[in-house]
This record gives sequence, C-alpha cells and structure tokens, in this order.
Amino acid sequence: MATKDSKPSYEAARDELAEIVESLEDGSATLEESLKLWERGEELAKICQEWLDGAKKKLDAAKKPAE
Amino acid sequence: MFETSSESPAPVRVVSEAIKDYIDRLGPIWIEGEISELNERSGGMAFMRLRDTSADMSISVMCYKTVLASVQPLPANARVVIYAKPSWFTKNGSLTLSAKEIRQVGVGELLARLEALKEKLALEGLFSADRKIALPRLPRRVGLICGRNTDAEKDVVENARRRWPSVQFEIREVAVQGAAAVVEVSAALSELEANPEVDVIIITRGGGSFEDLLPFSDESLVRLAASCTTPIVSAIGHEKDSPLLDLVADYRASTPTDAAKRVVPDIAQEISDIEKIRDRMFRRLVSTIDYELNQIAQLRNRPVLKDPSVMVTSRRDEIKGWRDRSIRGFTSLLEIEKKELKGVKAHLRSLSPQSTMDRGYAVVQLEDGSIVRDASKAKAGTHLRIRVAKGETRATVNE
Repeated sequence: MATKDSKPSYEAARDELAEIVESLEDGSATLEESLKLWERGEELAKICQEWLDGAKKKLDAAKKPAE
Repeated sequence: MFETSSESPAPVRVVSEAIKDYIDRLGPIWIEGEISELNERSGGMAFMRLRDTSADMSISVMCYKTVLASVQPLPANARVVIYAKPSWFTKNGSLTLSAKEIRQVGVGELLARLEALKEKLALEGLFSADRKIALPRLPRRVGLICGRNTDAEKDVVENARRRWPSVQFEIREVAVQGAAAVVEVSAALSELEANPEVDVIIITRGGGSFEDLLPFSDESLVRLAASCTTPIVSAIGHEKDSPLLDLVADYRASTPTDAAKRVVPDIAQEISDIEKIRDRMFRRLVSTIDYELNQIAQLRNRPVLKDPSVMVTSRRDEIKGWRDRSIRGFTSLLEIEKKELKGVKAHLRSLSPQSTMDRGYAVVQLEDGSIVRDASKAKAGTHLRIRVAKGETRATVNE
C-alpha cells in the first residue's frame, strides 16, 4: 500500500490517508510505527491539498476570460 | 441507292435530292415538346424550335401563321402537340417539321399526367420516409443550384451567412425554367453529388407559373434526385406549389430562407449552447473539488493529525501511571515489612531474659559465656560474670 517511490493519484493518496488516520486512531501500532504513519499521513495530506488547490486555481484561470 | 467512290463521288444536289426523296416518303406524325424561339416573319410563315422537355434535343418547326393563330397567345415555354410532316430543304440541307396542326397541352392534361407519375413513383417507394437522409449538422460545403442572379440565390446565401459566417458554397447557376432546365439542373446535381466536399445540396427557384415549375416534376430529374446519396433540400416556388422534386427531397423547405436555416446551424445559438455546457462542466468540477477539499480538511482535523503530540503524551501518561503504581506498590510493601519487623521485635523481646532480670533475677556466666546452672561447676577462684537488669558485674567464687 504505502509506496513512496511514485507520486500517487489523488484518490489513492486520499484513501491511504484515511486508512492511516484510522490505524493511528485505533492505536494498535507501535510508537515507532505510529511516528512513521504520521509522517506519511502528513505527506499525503499535503499532496491531496496541493492537488486540489492546483485544480481549483486552474479552473479559476480558465473561467476568467469567459466572464 | 447509287454507288459512289473517291473516283466517282456524287455531287451535293444528287445527295440532297436523294435525302429529300427519302424524307418526303415519311408520313405525318404527332409530336410533343416545348415551343421556343418563336419567330413570325413577314409573310405567311412562322418558325420555331420544338424542344424536348427532358433531354437537350430540339427540331425546327415551320407552319403557316394561320396554323399558329389557333393556339395564340401562347405562354412562354408552352407545351404543345404538333401534327407535322418532316421536310428536307435542299437549298441549305436542313430538316424542318412542317406543322399542319398545333394544339396546346392543357394544364388539366399536364396535372393528370403529373398525378399519374406521382402515383407511379410513390408505388416504387421513392417518396417513402425511410429513404430520407438526415441533413448534416455542419456541412463542409453547401451545393446550391439556382437561377442566375435570382432572389432565391441571395436569400439562401445571405441567410446562411448570417447564421454561419464561414459557410462555403458551391453555386451552380442554371436555367430553372424552360426546356433547358431539366438538363442543366440534372447536370449540376450530378456534378455536386460527385463532389465529396459537398455535404448537402439545395435546389431552389422562386415562384412561377405552373409551366415554369414543370421541370422540377420531370421524371428523369426526380429519379436522379432520388438516387443521390448527398442529402437534398428543395425550395421550389411557394408553399402551395408541390413539384415532385419536393417529395423525393430529403427536406422540403418552404422558402429559400427556410432552406438556409436547415443547412447550417445558428452560430449564436451554438456559442450559447457551448457556454451553457461549459458552465455546467465548471460547476460540476468545482463542486467535486470542494467536496474533496472538505474531505481532506476533515481528515486533517482528526486529533491524530491535528495534534500529533498526543502520540507521545499518551504514552508518557501511560509510563507515569505505571511508575506511580510501582511506587505505590513498593511503599505498601515497605509498610508491611515494617509492621512485621515490629511484631518480630516484640516476640523477640518476650523471649529475652530482660523482663526476668527486671524482676531482680541475675544471669551468672562463666568467662566463656556459658551459663552456670550447677553450683558445683563453679569451683573456688572461678571468675563469674553477673548480668542484671541493667549492666553486669564481675565476681570471684570464694569456696
């Protein structure tokens, strides 16, 4: 699941983030694992946010000349 | 006939006389066509050409003006039936029909014929709806067959340009009435049909007399139109006129303007439609992105991500708990041990000779610490240690 090598698609990143939050919440992971999960979660949240912000910016830019 | 060769050729007069001889033997016949180029010269004779109504063929006709007078005044392009005998003029070697009688073909007769043709073609299924080809949404080129410099042409071109400014026309200006109309319209139609760039063909002409519109009911033209694979729009005459071409056309336009509307889309409408679709697309995308942004915000707001120190503090609290429990456990253990020690001490005390000594008893010991229980064991001169309730003293046995 957690592949760091290539940038995941938005949906893959979001689903993985949700999974990480759940496993962090149920508290079954060791501290060391939790720390790794949290780091990965932060990274994924950033990827998702950037993706969406970028898409929105593109939309706004495309819409401007038409109005 | 006579023999000829390059060495003994026949003179013109002999040949022409021979032809005249042959033709003079032909009897009179009834023949139908359209009159054109009517020429009434001074003198008693009138000259004209009799044209075929479908093919580009004609024969010259002459008659006495009195023969012609029976049908005058003739409308333009009048259909007539002539009873005539072919004559050969040796003076210029020309063949002319000498008409003995001319009858105009009446409108009633033409209508009846048209009706019969209509029924025949309908039976063949030429007018059936499943033969109709859909008009293209946006043709690359529009074929236009019309009269020279006519209002019909202007109406089609101007209205089409107004709706779709970059519309491309292939215009064929042809005769749209008279004997030449069928031939010229057919030739233009075949040419435009063969042009792969032409996606739709408009055939148009303005209103006119019943005779004027007859070419557009000609069987050969109607059959040609039916065989075309390019969709055809007809806009002939006024609403009430219904030439047979209208029935085989893929769309019958009421006017040239209507034809223009049918062949090209309205650019303003198209732009507005695209704008609407674009708007819908934007709204849909924006709402999807907003939804996802909200999803991510919710995930980021969950305590594990919002305050990741919980991960450490929760464990620190856990450790503190264990430590507290450990201290508490050890303290209580110590307490128990203390109590136990007290008991042991009391017990120990109860077992010691101290209390006995307190009551005035003494313990007598030898030098080596052994207790003297038998007086005989202490000979004279033996050193004794006497322990009393408080301290001890030494003594020596006298006897």
